[in-house]
Amino acid sequence: MSQQKTAAPKAASETQLVARAQRGDEEAFTALFEMHKRRVYSLCLRMTGNTAEAEDLTQEAFLQLFRKISTFRGESAFSTWLHRLAVNVVLMHLRKKGLQQVSLDEVDTSQDEPVKRDYGDNDRRLMGSVDRISLTRAIAELPPGYRTVFVLHDVEGYEHNEIAEIMKCSVGNSKSQLHKARMKLRDWLRQNEGPMTPGEPVTSDQAPTER
Amino acid sequence: MDETRRYRTAECDRFELELDAYMDGEVRPSVPGHLRECVFCKVVFEDLTALRTAARELPLEEPSPVVWANIRAQLSAEGAFAEKGGVWSWFWQLDFLRRPVPVSAFACMLALGCWLTAPQNNPQTKTTASLPTSAGEPTVVRSMVFLAGGEGLEKAVRELEKAFKAREATLAPDVKATYENSLSSLDASIRECNDSLQREPGNSLAHEYLFAAYSQKAEVLSSALEIDEGR
Amino acid sequence: MADRQQQKTIKTTAMPFALGIFLCSLALPGIVLAAEGNRIEKTFEVAPNPRVTLSNTRGQILVRGWDKQQVHIVYSVISPRVEVDSDVIPASGPADKVHFSTHILDPLVSGKDQTADYSLDVPMGTDLEIRDTLGSVKIDKLQGDDATVETVGGSIVVSDFTGHLFVRSIGGNIDVIRAAGRVEAYSITGDLHFVSPTTSKLRATTTSGRILFEGDFPDGGDYSLSEYSGDMDIICPPSASFELNAKTDRGKLENEMPITIRHQPATPLSSANSLFGTHLSGKATVNLKSFSGTIRIRQR
Repeated sequence: MSQQKTAAPKAASETQLVARAQRGDEEAFTALFEMHKRRVYSLCLRMTGNTAEAEDLTQEAFLQLFRKISTFRGESAFSTWLHRLAVNVVLMHLRKKGLQQVSLDEVDTSQDEPVKRDYGDNDRRLMGSVDRISLTRAIAELPPGYRTVFVLHDVEGYEHNEIAEIMKCSVGNSKSQLHKARMKLRDWLRQNEGPMTPGEPVTSDQAPTER
Repeated sequence: MDETRRYRTAECDRFELELDAYMDGEVRPSVPGHLRECVFCKVVFEDLTALRTAARELPLEEPSPVVWANIRAQLSAEGAFAEKGGVWSWFWQLDFLRRPVPVSAFACMLALGCWLTAPQNNPQTKTTASLPTSAGEPTVVRSMVFLAGGEGLEKAVRELEKAFKAREATLAPDVKATYENSLSSLDASIRECNDSLQREPGNSLAHEYLFAAYSQKAEVLSSALEIDEGR
Repeated sequence: MADRQQQKTIKTTAMPFALGIFLCSLALPGIVLAAEGNRIEKTFEVAPNPRVTLSNTRGQILVRGWDKQQVHIVYSVISPRVEVDSDVIPASGPADKVHFSTHILDPLVSGKDQTADYSLDVPMGTDLEIRDTLGSVKIDKLQGDDATVETVGGSIVVSDFTGHLFVRSIGGNIDVIRAAGRVEAYSITGDLHFVSPTTSKLRATTTSGRILFEGDFPDGGDYSLSEYSGDMDIICPPSASFELNAKTDRGKLENEMPITIRHQPATPLSSANSLFGTHLSGKATVNLKSFSGTIRIRQR
């Protein structure tokens, strides 16, 4: 599909672009979109696991951004503002879909499945590298709550206190959900990547706990 | 290191509780010690480290051009964009407006001088585009797609049309006929939207459809160029 | 004399005819054998949620869901110079990905001789991608993950599908019957027909084709139907609860449903026919757009 070529202003800093966009300069809108579209879209894609939804949400995030751009005062970096807005758009969407899992209340264990602890299974390690495509697929397989925390923390780099503020949960809960998300991803990747050494049997011993 | 021990211990439980904090850079003295003792927890640690590294290195994905097309059309319909063209548009982009008053006074005089000497810049007659039809005979029409911000898209469609002309002789007759029908349909919609916008430049529905028609035309042409018919 | 003339006539017309039948009867077993020889059947063990792709030039493709963890394919070709390749990943053990493609080995093979017909049975959760240039595609009773179907001129019929469905045809008609999940359907000149969807989201666009929607709008659903010059007919039950945003530039808007008119958007459309309002409590959202076609909303 052909790409729409835009005449990006030469050497315009983001601050200048924002100022021009606040005055309704279409070229500035276009340039800001081009600068940030991939980060916003990638965030939406990883949080929803669905390309069509991600495109809709990207659209919605930028529309909200451009409608509110006159209120941007520069207290934070523009990219931070945009990013937080995009996260909120995605979370609103997930809540509207009726996915209660997005709530990370301490008592909400509805999305919790037993996390396997294969302590007898030395052969099925990830061997120090994770295939990008497999990881993307694995993230999409996570329940929405786990997926949100993992994407925000490990992919996007948010701290737990920021996630707690965004998700309206406690820091402890955010940490706990992240751990479970990581373990689930690990399990999925081990199952779907198969044995790293050809010919090795794939076992999944559920070892008992010795006290 | 005890590699024969295959049972999870209380140390393993404690390790797992502290692992994420340790990976986040917090001091957890028991973790390195346990990693030296327990090969199984070491595997878990290495796996989660690899996972986190891969997550940080995930590449950014590109949305399809339709996303911007829709955003642009919606903002345009809402009147978000300042009027294009006009003698004052370049003036408002000048940074010196932020400088102190004496400079602004000079700017006003400069702008007045430019207005008196600059050529007329009416968006209605800005471009006269040559819009080839699917029959291959260019029809010179005033293309209004620039109003929808799609000059680049129009150029891209032209290039694709040239490539399609070169390719179409190799297509099976029924395949070629299907493509030609669809391109003809899209060209008709482009013409009608252009006509509408000539009469009503603010017609947001015509904007939207014009842009969509160009985007769809680009997709159809790309599809024709990608087709390999199993050979 | 006349009798001999008649006998001669009978001999000259009947003989070639009989000879023809005789020759055909000799050839018939060969034809049958050839038909059986060109029909191939294969079964692949697959992992959960496999990805199945098929790329074809001409011919019918039928895909059905079943409850076995296998992909079963039956295909037949007309010309011996048309081959079907299959790729399986990984090469051993249950497959994650299975790919089929039709190859035309001889450039002189054209038209109907390029035909390869397929029938596939795939398990639940299959991620499906089908491309058929001029052939028709039918999908039936599949609970998939994602399904993508693209044709140039062939028609697409999908019935009783659950998942995310993306169908696109340049000139073919598209029928989607009783779909659940999410549907996107696009055509340039083909007609789009939807029957009783229960999808949370439906997007459909055609340029000059017609859109016919028959069914209810589920609560919370988001339905956007758009055509340029074709007509659009929406037929829904009196119990349908939806918020309506309908607009057309040059076409007509005909509505039989009792709609409570809502405040118009701030930037009114110039010379457009539009209707913004709700029917009952407006639980679903329905966006209808046309440039010069007529939009008709009727009660079932």
